[in-house]
Amino acid sequence: MAAADNIDRRRFLAACGLASAASYFVGCTPSAAANDFGELDLVWSRQGLAPGRLQKPRAMAIDAQDRIYIVDFTARVQVFDPDGKFLLGWKTPASKDGRPTGISIDADGTVMVADTHYYRVLFYTPEGKLLEERTIGGTVGSAPGEFGFVTDAVRAPDGSLFVSEYSQNDRIQKFAPDGSHLLQWGEPGSGPGEFRRPQSLLLDGQGQLVVSDSCNHRLQIFDQQGSHLATWANEGSGRGELYYPYGLTADATGNMYVCEYGNHRVQKFGSDGKSLGIWGRQGRQPGELWDPWAVVVDSAGRLHVLDTGNHRVQRIVM
Amino acid sequence: MSFAVDNSTYLLLLLIAPAMWLWSYRSLAGLGGMRRILALTLRTLVLAAIVFALADMQFRKSSDRLTVIYLLDQSQSIPAEQREAMAKFVNATVRENRQDDKLDRAGVIVFGREAEVELPPVDFAYELPRVESLVDPTYTNLEAALQKAMSLFPADSAKRVVIVTDGNENMGDALREARAMADAGVSIDVLPAPINRRSEVRVDKVALPADVRRGEPFELRVVVDHDTTGAGKAKGKLRIIRKHGQQETTLSEAPVELSSGKNVFTVSETIEESDFYTYEARFVPDDKSTDASEQNNLATAFTHVRGKGQVLVIEDWEHPGEFDYLVQRLRSEGIEVTLSQSNQLFTSLPELQRYDCVVLANTPRSSGFGGDDGQVDTDTLSGFSDAQIEMLVRNTEELGCGLVMLGGDRSFGAGGWERTALEKAMPLDFQIKSAKVTPVGALAMIMHASEIAQGNYWQKRIAVEAIDALGARDYCGLLQWNGNEQWLWGQSQGGMIPVGPNRGSMKARVDRLVVGDMPDFDPGMKKAAAAFAGLTNPVPALKHMIIISDGDPTPPSGATIAALKRMSVKVTTVAVGAHGPPGHQTMQNIANQTGGKYYVVRNASALPKIYQREARRVARPLVKELEPALAPRLSTRHAIVDGIGDEFPPLSGFVMTTVKDSSLVEVILRSPEPPNAENSAVLASWTYGLGKVAAMTTDAGHRWANDWTAWGQYDRFYSQLIRWAMRPTGETGNFTIATEVGDGKTRVVIDALDKDEEFLNVASLTGVAVSPEMKSVPLVINQVAPGRYVGEFESDTSGSYMIAINAGGEQGLIRTGVSVGYSDEFRDRTTNTPLLETLAKLPAKGGEPGKLISAEAKVEFTGEERVIEPLAKVNSYRRDLPPAVASQPIWPLLVLLGSCVFFADVFIRRVQVGFEWLAPLWQKFATVVLRRQPVEAAPETMSRLRSRKREVQKSLEARQTETRLEIDETRAPTTSPLNELKQGPTAKREPAKPPAAEPKPDEKQDDYTSRLLKAKRDAKRKREE
Repeated sequence: MAAADNIDRRRFLAACGLASAASYFVGCTPSAAANDFGELDLVWSRQGLAPGRLQKPRAMAIDAQDRIYIVDFTARVQVFDPDGKFLLGWKTPASKDGRPTGISIDADGTVMVADTHYYRVLFYTPEGKLLEERTIGGTVGSAPGEFGFVTDAVRAPDGSLFVSEYSQNDRIQKFAPDGSHLLQWGEPGSGPGEFRRPQSLLLDGQGQLVVSDSCNHRLQIFDQQGSHLATWANEGSGRGELYYPYGLTADATGNMYVCEYGNHRVQKFGSDGKSLGIWGRQGRQPGELWDPWAVVVDSAGRLHVLDTGNHRVQRIVM
Repeated sequence: MSFAVDNSTYLLLLLIAPAMWLWSYRSLAGLGGMRRILALTLRTLVLAAIVFALADMQFRKSSDRLTVIYLLDQSQSIPAEQREAMAKFVNATVRENRQDDKLDRAGVIVFGREAEVELPPVDFAYELPRVESLVDPTYTNLEAALQKAMSLFPADSAKRVVIVTDGNENMGDALREARAMADAGVSIDVLPAPINRRSEVRVDKVALPADVRRGEPFELRVVVDHDTTGAGKAKGKLRIIRKHGQQETTLSEAPVELSSGKNVFTVSETIEESDFYTYEARFVPDDKSTDASEQNNLATAFTHVRGKGQVLVIEDWEHPGEFDYLVQRLRSEGIEVTLSQSNQLFTSLPELQRYDCVVLANTPRSSGFGGDDGQVDTDTLSGFSDAQIEMLVRNTEELGCGLVMLGGDRSFGAGGWERTALEKAMPLDFQIKSAKVTPVGALAMIMHASEIAQGNYWQKRIAVEAIDALGARDYCGLLQWNGNEQWLWGQSQGGMIPVGPNRGSMKARVDRLVVGDMPDFDPGMKKAAAAFAGLTNPVPALKHMIIISDGDPTPPSGATIAALKRMSVKVTTVAVGAHGPPGHQTMQNIANQTGGKYYVVRNASALPKIYQREARRVARPLVKELEPALAPRLSTRHAIVDGIGDEFPPLSGFVMTTVKDSSLVEVILRSPEPPNAENSAVLASWTYGLGKVAAMTTDAGHRWANDWTAWGQYDRFYSQLIRWAMRPTGETGNFTIATEVGDGKTRVVIDALDKDEEFLNVASLTGVAVSPEMKSVPLVINQVAPGRYVGEFESDTSGSYMIAINAGGEQGLIRTGVSVGYSDEFRDRTTNTPLLETLAKLPAKGGEPGKLISAEAKVEFTGEERVIEPLAKVNSYRRDLPPAVASQPIWPLLVLLGSCVFFADVFIRRVQVGFEWLAPLWQKFATVVLRRQPVEAAPETMSRLRSRKREVQKSLEARQTETRLEIDETRAPTTSPLNELKQGPTAKREPAKPPAAEPKPDEKQDDYTSRLLKAKRDAKRKREE
């Protein structure tokens, strides 16, 4: 009996030891496994109205000199260096009806602001001077050159401009370098070539236009004439699935990073559309995200994520 | 950085340590030197950790940070230009002196009657554009501001307040609070706002004789006080007006010249009609510089001349004329009726005093919504405010006015009156509690108002309004976006649950509501549609959805709209801060497609009305249409139906209510349908406070009571109904009331004479006053002489107080009013320098006293631009205070540490750790990692073992020689286990067999011990021999 007791106790202790060890590792798993790529390098800015602070920032772009442009809920465009040092800032001409939700940089360094609720794209010099003569849109409507809520604008190497919009029309319009309307495609719906809130645009290395079709929870790929080439991902919170994809960016190797507003994370895709991992989860701590809107890659290959709900930017090294 | 303990008495427990050492040193003797010392040390550590935890040890960190909170006096005793310059002063001094590198903080509190935080302490330079918080400027409450500052100071910095004020406090005790603050280490700097003594005029009072009677001339006296430094006269106009009802008459408007001191002006006046009169006297100076403040240039007085009763009928302005027939019939019966519309309501309690009965005739609580669909602009919305409802109720409860509610489809519960003060005053509850009689409704709310100013506040308010407006059995759900669409309650039950049992918990959850920026309408609307489809027990008769949004989420898909239409769910959309045409379009389309309403909200304060109204649509089933029309039955004999008989014409509808569970309620008429007596009341009455209240749940002949207009008893019935409710108006005894205001109190003196001009001694006079905030103020009246009664009540708020005195019996109610003109704010016209100097001299504990900034800068704060800069030079961020110490309790850490060390202590004592496993481990490491030859190791070990064996053997032999005893040489090696090693590790072990010639047992025992025993035995035997 004594021997049997002995064995039982040993087994019991061994089981306890294993269980506690297992629980220790299980406890660690989420934070360890949440990020498939990259490590948190820096968290910068915080909520506020003072220069250098952010109030619900909603769009971000980076220029060739690694200067980061952020537009926030107070309609301020602020420029930072990659370490988060405030350089300069300005305000859009009007913001009573609503604030911009898109920003991007032209090949010549011109800042393009998607002034969403004024149905137009504003052009600024990098120093913040408004180039009024270049403004596109400003009239609400469905005719060519008119807009609903403008979400983003990107310039192709040949100088043509693509502008996305939603609400009245869910479509992409293409303009010639001189601002004249060339073509348009898309309508509200869930089929190929149809959109529900095309929130962000990206021209990839092969000259294809990637559209984050947010409320359809997918990415659509087009050529520059608007022909539908592919659809990636569908609704969900797993790997390879998307939930309200917003901002898009690509790194030098052609991998794409998608900011998921609804999943509070960034997902990496290969150029073949295969998910290569996720980074972040919902939360307020460093390394956690809350309603992220935008993502950019700097020249050193570091990823900057606009953590909108936390009013800050997080920098990730790969 | 240091440590401190909060309760040092516990440290005495450390004295146990030496005793513990003594005791443990002995008891741990078996452990050996090192382990004993280690165990003792650990034990001491455990004791220390527990003692320090008990003593509440704290980790302290001192910081050089400073927080300055500016307290800005915005009361009207300070000239406007100085008040406006305060923000500039704050900006300048923060810019000049705040040390950014030390993370200094600056905060701003503004105060008048109460204190508001204009800017919480922030560690960056925020330029205040102007003071935006609204405070009541008619009082100065510096104490409240100091208290608020105290609650706002962060713990991790030194603290200073800078007070900008004239020091004329008329509420609270600032000095007491300031002393407490100084004791708590807060430094106080003061910037006095100088007030130049100027000439001042104030209308002190309008005096009326106590016994104003109809047709008898009397003198009205106006007392104007002119306070001036010199002998100069003030010129201006004195205007005296009389108001009763809608009429306003100017009694006198003449230029006057005021001498220094009190000036009395008299006007002769005669009142011809019985009514409630208000007299107002206003002085307008010719030269504004002769009058420091205008706020005190008006005085008011009231008098009431009793006579014929007056009735106010309020009808819905959107449906005028519905009660014209009734009004006409009442007038023909000799009742004086004033008809008013619900968008031109009374604004004060005195306005209601001329009426002895108020009738709400099919009037909803708020109106201007148009039909059931279409667009509504909030600018057109109007209705009864909570304050106006309160006035109606106080007017009845305290002042004895009658209150009658006449029915129709916009009255009672169907008019949005449920859960208001008016419902409490009525003999009927406006909600249906019985489950059998009414179908249920369902309301889903989708919240996306996060982008408007104070969006979350409004969302909470409207959600509570809607929950309150719904009936107990109605379903309610609230959808919010927080990363995805979530029901705020009842997730496991589909999101929409009955309101009744959950009303409290729903409101509690609403309180915690935080809504994110919803990207898409579709998923939320789909979710709501699924929830509507899941409501089966019971199935709601009305399904309604309200979406509040700025319109920028993606519009819903056609399939979702179609699903909602299939289920007859009407979707009302409320556009707040909508982003131009596309946002409006989305919202309007949703409403149009589903048959709901579309609201354009320009002013957020209209939102509660919208939500009351929309929730009421769900509660609409309260209207009971009777097909065919049925005659109500008389259930109680009552003065209202006196002489009318038992037969009443049929009704085709009424609003269902629930009879209040009170023995005071008399239900006079009941409808045969529904059979449930509780919900079928057509006419009910009771007495509420001093007033009589009647509720008639059907209309007066416009729609449901068509047959009644042709009824011969119509006039009699309605005139009796109104007359019953009216306040008694007969002229009985002879009472005169005089009022006197002073020192925050009003004294009421009543002289009572009977018809024969003899002193009247009443058993008891009771009274009540209604304050300007619609609160009842008790008025205790005592008899002080034959026929003379005196009472007093607190009247420290400026405004009109209505007083009602109940003489009891046949005497009826005696009413009057008193106006408390202006607050003390307009009395003080010089800076209270002594108080401000005292405040500045208070030394902060451990630091220096504060500074009187203007004395330091040698310039006064006049509000001019040029003085700001020198004043800002006085550094309020100077380091003359002890550094702040932030302490953090560490007892949980100590407990954790103690537990770990305790474990180590037990471990040390119970477990002896050997290190034999180290060598094989090293061996393994060397073999695997360092790739050394393992074979060399074994012989080395073997040779060491052999040499050791040899040593042991030698020493054994040596001892054997010493003892001179013979040892069997051949046996010893075989007993050693090392013998086996001689054969090498692979040698098979032979079972031990006895040798062929085995010695006898006694010989076998012939070893060292047995031989010793043998020798002993031999010696013993020899001794015995």
